[in-house]
Amino acid sequence: MRNKNWKQICLFLLPALLLYAVFFIYPLFYVFITSFTQWNGIGSMKFIGFKNFTDLFANETFRISLKNNFIWSFALGFIQIPLATIMALVLARKPKGWKVYRTVFFLPNVISQVALAMMWTAIYNADGGILNSLLAAVGLESLTRNWLGDMGTALGAVIVQQLFYIGYFMVVILASRMGIPESYYEAAEIDGANVWQQEIHISLPNILPILITSVTLAMAYGMRHFESTFLMTNGGPAHATSVLGIMLYQNLGALKYGVGNAIGATLIVLGGVLIMTIRWLLNKKSQKMMG
Amino acid sequence: MKKLLTVCLIIALAVPALVFAQGSGEAKSQEIVLKWPSFWVGADTKAAPITELVNQFNEAHAGSIKVEIEENPDTDGYRDKLNAQIAAGIVPDIFILNVDPTTLQFFEGDLLMDFTEDLKGDWGNGFLDGTLNAVTVDKQTKAIPYEMAYTPIWYNTAILKAAGVDKIPETMDEFWAMCDAVKAAGYIPTVQMTGGTNAWTSMIWYSHLCAALGGPDVWQKDFATDPVFVQAAELLNRMYQDGNTSKDAIGAGPGDAGGHYLAGEAAAFSNGPWYIARVKNEAPAVYDATEIATAPGINYSGAQTGYLLSALAAANTTDPARRAAVVEFMKWMTTGENAKTVSEAAGSILAVKADITSTDKIQTQFFQEVADASFVVETFSAKFPVDVVAEFGQALAKMAQGKATPEQFVAQIASVM
Repeated sequence: MRNKNWKQICLFLLPALLLYAVFFIYPLFYVFITSFTQWNGIGSMKFIGFKNFTDLFANETFRISLKNNFIWSFALGFIQIPLATIMALVLARKPKGWKVYRTVFFLPNVISQVALAMMWTAIYNADGGILNSLLAAVGLESLTRNWLGDMGTALGAVIVQQLFYIGYFMVVILASRMGIPESYYEAAEIDGANVWQQEIHISLPNILPILITSVTLAMAYGMRHFESTFLMTNGGPAHATSVLGIMLYQNLGALKYGVGNAIGATLIVLGGVLIMTIRWLLNKKSQKMMG
Repeated sequence: MKKLLTVCLIIALAVPALVFAQGSGEAKSQEIVLKWPSFWVGADTKAAPITELVNQFNEAHAGSIKVEIEENPDTDGYRDKLNAQIAAGIVPDIFILNVDPTTLQFFEGDLLMDFTEDLKGDWGNGFLDGTLNAVTVDKQTKAIPYEMAYTPIWYNTAILKAAGVDKIPETMDEFWAMCDAVKAAGYIPTVQMTGGTNAWTSMIWYSHLCAALGGPDVWQKDFATDPVFVQAAELLNRMYQDGNTSKDAIGAGPGDAGGHYLAGEAAAFSNGPWYIARVKNEAPAVYDATEIATAPGINYSGAQTGYLLSALAAANTTDPARRAAVVEFMKWMTTGENAKTVSEAAGSILAVKADITSTDKIQTQFFQEVADASFVVETFSAKFPVDVVAEFGQALAKMAQGKATPEQFVAQIASVM
């Protein structure tokens, strides 16, 4: 049915659509076009076909970065979200002081990422950092190391600190869990279901749509991850923690806009494919669960 | 009614835009306003003297030219912003150009003002030898040399004394002996770092070692094949082994590295004259104990690393009055008297010939070391584009952890050249 007010609707939508086109569609288009060029941002562009892409896939740093992006994505989607879910389910049972815990877990989300990265850099510091001091204090001195400087531990160290910040997703999942009528749980309890069974058979199926959205968002964040790695290791040591965002940033800084935008285009395409695949798989699984 | 509301809304949105557009038009006057985004602001040691010079210039040209400093205290952010602006064809009226092979690409096309003809007279003769060449590409000089960087080795003589070392090492054998003595006394022999954008202190050490091995023309050699660069890598790698540096050196950034020297924990450090004020203010005991020297000699002795750190550049313009205003300001900033003012107040060494009488003991040593140097070579960071310099830190971290040989270290860097 045609809306009588379509002219007014179009008029009101126009500014937003224009802004979307100018600030999103056009830059996206520009990224893809320039990814096929050699361009330093000053002189004229030279069309070089797929050379930027073939060079990138032959580049070891790019392959490490790509792998690290996928590690980040899966770590956030399948470790951080389950942690957030467990905490949300625990807090939904309203244990003593649950509001305090909710605030404590959410607090890092309102603190600057820069401040958090600096704090973790200090914690991991090889020379007097808290982590090494604690390990030494409990007799595990053999485990002390330069956490962010060791090629074997740097990536894990940067990812682990990020996994702790479950607050945002925890609050979202908690809100969804709180929306489930208490009568479901009361009925289950009368039928003899224990807490574990209640969570598995009542909570999880009911919060599943939110869980799928959370996993998708967390994985999307993992694919475009940049900040804490840039601040804590700048992609080092020896590119061990590098991600595509850092490679992109460094290439733009070196005025290699063609290469930088080829990385950006790869990130957009691979990220899109990954997220769509994960959503498709999770939705399929969810439909099966819901019968 | 709905139509009326729609029309009212459009008018409400459009009117302020028209009013502001009108306002900016009215603000136009005969006065030429030159905006200068600068990172020499805030806590920067050059902030006060530069601001004073700009104020004096504005007073002298009241009503005709006005220079407005826009504060951008973050140097990395400044560079990123400048790259993006220039790629979009938007060049600030005046800006600071950190001179390296990457930024010299800005000289392509006609975005920047060309000072070649202006510099042919007395003005051009007032700059230190070679500095105009550093900002000349295809016979066009599109920036005005401003600040020099000399990066000698800083020694904490109090630590050397505590370790029983009575003189600053002049050969590598003496240097390793110093490292052993300093370690035995419980201090860190050298400050190193692989982090940051350019592994700064280690990159300076490597530049010194390359100069001591390869001489004044070291950077003319082929980096991928000349053995000098592998030999320098072997020596740098040794500085990372056997406790010759701090535990956090791999991955450390400038703050960590400088912190060890400021804390009086490390015997040998490397940085430029801009760090003098920081040491003086934050670590007076270290300041008192600091002595500046060249790196130990190997095949060549007395080499110093130095290069043109920054220049002043401007947006090109077809307006003769605006162009004249920019040149007038550039000339003002680079008079011998004004260079002396900035240099003496900030501890910096400018690219302008000036009769400077430093009252600072470390700055005096800097001048002396530069004057006494058998030759001066650029640092690795000044010689190569930023992506190559970034690869230096990554390759160094790999070598320092025993995951790459010095040959592989050189090959990794050469692969991005």
